[in-house]
Amino acid sequence: MSATTGPRHITNPFATRHTRPGVLWPLTSSAERRDVPALIAAVDKAGGSAGIEGPHGTGKSTLLVTIAAELAAVDRLAAIIQVRCRRDGLSAVRAVLRAAAGTTVCIDGWEQLGRVVGSATRFLARLRGCQLVVTSHRSVGLPLTVKTTSSLPLFTAIVAALPHHGGLIHPADLAEAFTRHGGNLRESLCDLYDRFEQRARQPFRF
Amino acid sequence: MTAIEPVRHSPHVMVHFCSPDRRYEPLQPIRIQYQIELSAGSTVQAIERSILWYTEGKGEEDLGVHAFERITDGATIAAAAGAGAFESHLPPSPLSYEGLIVKVRWCVRVRLFFEGGRDFVSEHVFDLGTVPAALSRAVP
Amino acid sequence: MRLPRFLAKKRGDRRTGAEVWGSVGDALFHAILLAAGMVFAGLLLTGVAVPEWRINHHFLAAQGTVVGKGLARRAASGQAASTWQPCLRLRYTTPEGPREAWTLRGAIVPDRQAAITALDATRLGKPLDCWYDPTDPETVVLERGYNWWMWTLTLFLPGALVAFGGAGVARSLTAWGKSEERQAAAGGRPHGGLAAVGSYPGVPPCDDLVNSPGTILAFRLPIDSGESWALLGVGLFALLWNAVLILLAVNAGLDLLGGQIDWLLMAILVPFLAVGIAGIVIFVRGLILSTAVGTTQVEVSDHPLLPGGRYEVLLGQGGSGTFTSLDMAVELEEQATFRQGTDTRTERMVVWRASLGTWTGLQLAPGTRFEGRGVFQVPATAMHSFASEHNLVSWRVVVRGRPAGWPPFTRSFPLLVYPAPPSGTQHPKAEVPS
Repeated sequence: MSATTGPRHITNPFATRHTRPGVLWPLTSSAERRDVPALIAAVDKAGGSAGIEGPHGTGKSTLLVTIAAELAAVDRLAAIIQVRCRRDGLSAVRAVLRAAAGTTVCIDGWEQLGRVVGSATRFLARLRGCQLVVTSHRSVGLPLTVKTTSSLPLFTAIVAALPHHGGLIHPADLAEAFTRHGGNLRESLCDLYDRFEQRARQPFRF
Repeated sequence: MTAIEPVRHSPHVMVHFCSPDRRYEPLQPIRIQYQIELSAGSTVQAIERSILWYTEGKGEEDLGVHAFERITDGATIAAAAGAGAFESHLPPSPLSYEGLIVKVRWCVRVRLFFEGGRDFVSEHVFDLGTVPAALSRAVP
Repeated sequence: MRLPRFLAKKRGDRRTGAEVWGSVGDALFHAILLAAGMVFAGLLLTGVAVPEWRINHHFLAAQGTVVGKGLARRAASGQAASTWQPCLRLRYTTPEGPREAWTLRGAIVPDRQAAITALDATRLGKPLDCWYDPTDPETVVLERGYNWWMWTLTLFLPGALVAFGGAGVARSLTAWGKSEERQAAAGGRPHGGLAAVGSYPGVPPCDDLVNSPGTILAFRLPIDSGESWALLGVGLFALLWNAVLILLAVNAGLDLLGGQIDWLLMAILVPFLAVGIAGIVIFVRGLILSTAVGTTQVEVSDHPLLPGGRYEVLLGQGGSGTFTSLDMAVELEEQATFRQGTDTRTERMVVWRASLGTWTGLQLAPGTRFEGRGVFQVPATAMHSFASEHNLVSWRVVVRGRPAGWPPFTRSFPLLVYPAPPSGTQHPKAEVPS
């Protein structure tokens, strides 16, 4: 995608359209580009199902979406589901039921399914011959576990990958935001959003 | 020194607005002319041209389409894939707004669909109305 | 590379990669649900509804006489226990001559003796009204009428399957491989936004804001604060919780009087009691607070508002006692919601504020109310009210009070600001019913 804006428009590089999962390539905690194809190969070797574990705001959804994109490119993706509450369990079950054998259903927010629906989803996936790649804050017992953690170098690399902030954000801002939010990358990016917005804005009255 | 010509792998879409500063009033007509430069070997199967607003900021993006046109006819694509124009009358709202955590922006989108299911979007922002940017956070 | 988007609940499921096969799979899934619902509904209709209708419309009346009694036994396969249903043998007269046939009488019961007892209520030779099928005179019934609640219940599941499956098929077919702009354009409403109000897209509806006339000024604004609902919620919770608590306590008490002590029940009662008492205390405290502080009303001289317009605002505050201060202001607030996985964050930010008046040292007597006025001018280039699914720009009147001896309160009243009408057009405000 390409985009052009006018001089009146403040392009905040930390707006959700630049930071949401799927926009940035996932990085490891040491700020290296994740080898997603190799990760998919490891998942296949382990039986085709994996859980992406990590605390809030450590890049689980970003990694999941990228894995889903790589699978989609070779027609191996059945569906990608975002679970926000238990009612979304129906979407997850439906996706597994519709999935062809050998394809993968990606589910973000596995714990929201609950034990019963989660177990049913896993059972149905085995029955259908499809795989699951899910995100969770704790272990879900799938054959392979990919852990995500955050670090200041990772956060710095993410900010570097965003549209340029024009020098309005300093390295000290990154360290302060990261520390204040306990390593939660999403909250830290929101913090930088506010700083950028305040500094970029000229006082103006109606 | 030999001149180096950059090799484009993505299409390039240039858009020209009838208003020089890209600012329009509600209900004013808008006319857009565009030029598309395709990378070698790519074949456009469909073109979508739309005028829409979207939100940007800290929340999830919402969008509202004001005008939409999809071209699938081969003869028309051949002509439109090089250069084209379209126009519309803008609505009275929502006005463009540069808020602190919520921004409302208007844009023109040209979306190209290629063989194999790939697509490319080019987005060009303009202003509807003259609402100034919001102040900093107000404290009671 | 086109990255897949999440399948959000409201947008339905969408495959990535092979879009066509995704759409086929989606449509097929819903088609199966639709077919299952139709088959289920068909079976229910032919098995229940149609026979019931024939009984009520086609069967002929006759005078029957009980000439025999019996029990119909139903033994479920693989189960030892049978169920029983009383039957009567009736003699009745048809145009073709006298007939005798068995008919069911009463409910199915698991106990044979209970079925026999039910039969004892009917003596041999007793005359009974009956209805027989003219096409099959051996079929006779003793009751007519429609079992509406059974119809509703049995058609609910197939109805839900048909509705869900049919809607899914329709959605799959209409959204087959379409871009988000195309879907939004076809739907005639913003993608993730609200439908247009009149001719002002993106502006929230104002019906609920202009249907309440004021006592002094033209319009009274509804309150936006969740105080009342929170209090109601706490009250309902306390009521239900304590009702359950009383039942458990009565049970425990009866057991105790009978010389039995259910230790598990006793153990559960202790924390239940603590929560029940806390619920009552919180509810009563909230009730006293809202009663003592009194209600707040705000009226405006016109609504919705227009940029550049000048409006009078009236504050009415009830209650009793002293108010250290009462402040009324107009605020412009932005609200953005972002959901990701298990996280939902909603952020609010007031970006503009204008004070309409501050009053200090107020002394309110019971039954009276304080009235304060202010004048508000909407800036000529102000942003209008805007609402989409995840983002809001909203105007409101905010009243902040500090009653002496009570916690401070904040109550807000939504305002609607339209965009300035383009030249040569009439504002939709003129269409607002008086």
